[in-house]
Amino acid sequence: MQTLKIENLTVQIEDKVVLKDFNLTINKGEIHAIMGPNGAGKSTLSKVIMGDFRYKILSGKMYYNGKLLNDMPVCDRALLGIFLAMQMPLEIEGVSNADFLRTALHNKQKDEFNLMKFIKDLDKTVAKLQMDKQMIHRSINSGFSGGERKKNEILQMHILKPSLVLLDEIDSGLDIDSLKVVSENILDYYQEYNPGMLLITHYQKLLNYIKPTHVHIMIDGKIVKSGDYKLVSEIEKNGYENFKNFNSTCIMKENEKNE
Amino acid sequence: MNKIIVSDDVIKSVNLDDSIDLKVVEKSESFTVSSIKIKVLKDTSLKIVYDSKKESKLDIFISLMSNVSLNLDEVRFGVKNKIQYKYYLEDNSYLDVLKVYDVDSIREVDIVNLNGFNSKIDYTFKTVSKNDEKYDIMIYHNKGNTVSNIVNHGVNIENGTLTFNVTGLVDKGSKDCIINQKNQIVNLTCNRCNINPNLIIDENEVSASHSAHIGKLDDDSLFYLTSRGIDYNEAVHLLIKGFLLSKTDSDDLVKIIDKYWR
Repeated sequence: MQTLKIENLTVQIEDKVVLKDFNLTINKGEIHAIMGPNGAGKSTLSKVIMGDFRYKILSGKMYYNGKLLNDMPVCDRALLGIFLAMQMPLEIEGVSNADFLRTALHNKQKDEFNLMKFIKDLDKTVAKLQMDKQMIHRSINSGFSGGERKKNEILQMHILKPSLVLLDEIDSGLDIDSLKVVSENILDYYQEYNPGMLLITHYQKLLNYIKPTHVHIMIDGKIVKSGDYKLVSEIEKNGYENFKNFNSTCIMKENEKNE
Repeated sequence: MNKIIVSDDVIKSVNLDDSIDLKVVEKSESFTVSSIKIKVLKDTSLKIVYDSKKESKLDIFISLMSNVSLNLDEVRFGVKNKIQYKYYLEDNSYLDVLKVYDVDSIREVDIVNLNGFNSKIDYTFKTVSKNDEKYDIMIYHNKGNTVSNIVNHGVNIENGTLTFNVTGLVDKGSKDCIINQKNQIVNLTCNRCNINPNLIIDENEVSASHSAHIGKLDDDSLFYLTSRGIDYNEAVHLLIKGFLLSKTDSDDLVKIIDKYWR
C-alpha cells in the first residue's frame, strides 16, 4: 500500500517553528485537502515532504511506502514517486522544458526510457492542457503567465507519473477557464493512476472539481480539525475564526470523535 | 569559414579568403611579443582557435573597414596567457564577437575603439575559470551613434579567482551612443571573484546600463530540478549549461561544460 505517514513532526526554519507535532496519513487513492489562513504552514508542509533542505526537522518522522524520508535527498523522494506542484513555479533561464523533462524522465526510467514515447506523451498532454506547443522548447517557465506556469506543473505531473501528488495552491493565478482545464487534467490523472493526493488551497472552487475524501484545517502549524467535504462549506460560511482558539485538548477530542 | 589556428604564440594554420588580410609579426630581439594583425575588408566570418601549452604572450589587432561586418568566433585553451586585443571599428561597421575560454591562468586586456560613426560591437564572453583569470575590457565610444553590448559570463571552480573590469567611455560630442554591460559570475568556490563595471561618460545624450552579479547557484532552482528526480550533479550541470549557453549555442562551449560537469 502506498502510504505517506507523518508522525509528530516538528519543523523549524531559521528561528521559527513552523510545523508543531504534526500528524497526517495519506493512503493511495485518498484525496486530502488542507485549508487554512495565510502563514498556517500549509506550503511549508508540502516543501518539507519534498525535502527542502532549508527546513530543519526537530523531531518526528515521515515515511513513504515504509521508507523513512527525514534525511532522504530530494531527488530520491521524487524517484520514490512524490511530486510537488509548486505554488510559485520558478523561471530557470537557459534550461529548456523539453531538456529538463527528458532528463527527469530518463533518470526515473533508466533503460526503459523511450524517446519516441516521451515525445508522443508530451505532445498529447500539451494539447490536453491547451498549452502553446512552442512553450516546450522555451526555458522553464520563462515568460510564462501565472496560469501557464501552473499548467506546466501539471504537464510535468502527467509525464513523470508520481504516486503521491502534492498540489500547493495549484488554483492560484488561474482564470476560470484555466482552472477548469487544470482541474480536469488533475482529475483525469487521478482516475487513471489513483495516486494519493494532497491539495493545498484557499478556495472551494478547486474542490468543486476535485472532491477531497478528507479535509483538514491547519492553523499555526497544526491540524486543528479534520472532516469530510462538509467541512469545506463550513469554512466558506464562517471562515477560520472559529478554529483559531482550538487548544490541543480540543484537537485530541475532535480527532477521537472522528475516529 | 575563415579559420586561423594559433599554438602558443605561433600561427600553425591559416585558411582565409580575400575578405581578410593577415599580417603576423613574430617575436624577435626587437619585438618581445608576437602580434597578429587582422584587417577585415568585406563582410565575413572568422574562427580563431588558440591552444597554448606553455606561457605565451600575444597582441592581436582586429580592424574593420567602413561598412563591413565580422562574426568572430574565438576558442581558447591552454596555460598562462598574457593577451592584448585591440579592435578598431570604422563607420557603419559591425563586430559580433563570441569568445569561449577554458584556460589555466590568464591576463587579458581588450580595447575596443568605436572610431566610426554608427559602428557597433556585440561582445559575448564565456569562461570556466579554474585558476587565476583577470580581464580588463575597455570600450571607447569615440564617435556618435556607436553601440556596445558587452556580456561577460564566468563560472569559477576549483582554485579559480575571476575578475572582470569593464569600462565604457564616451567622449564629449559622441551623441546618441548606447552602452550595455552585463557581467555575471557563478562562483562555486570560496575564492574571491570581482566585477568592476565602470561607465565614464562625458556626454548627456547617451543611453547606458550596467549590471554585475556574483553568486552561487540558486538554491530554489536546485530544489525545483531535484524535486523532479534529477540528481544534484545533473541539476548543477543543467543550470551551468543554461547559464553559459544563454545567447549562444557554441559546440565548443557545450564540450567544455560536459568536460567539467558530466
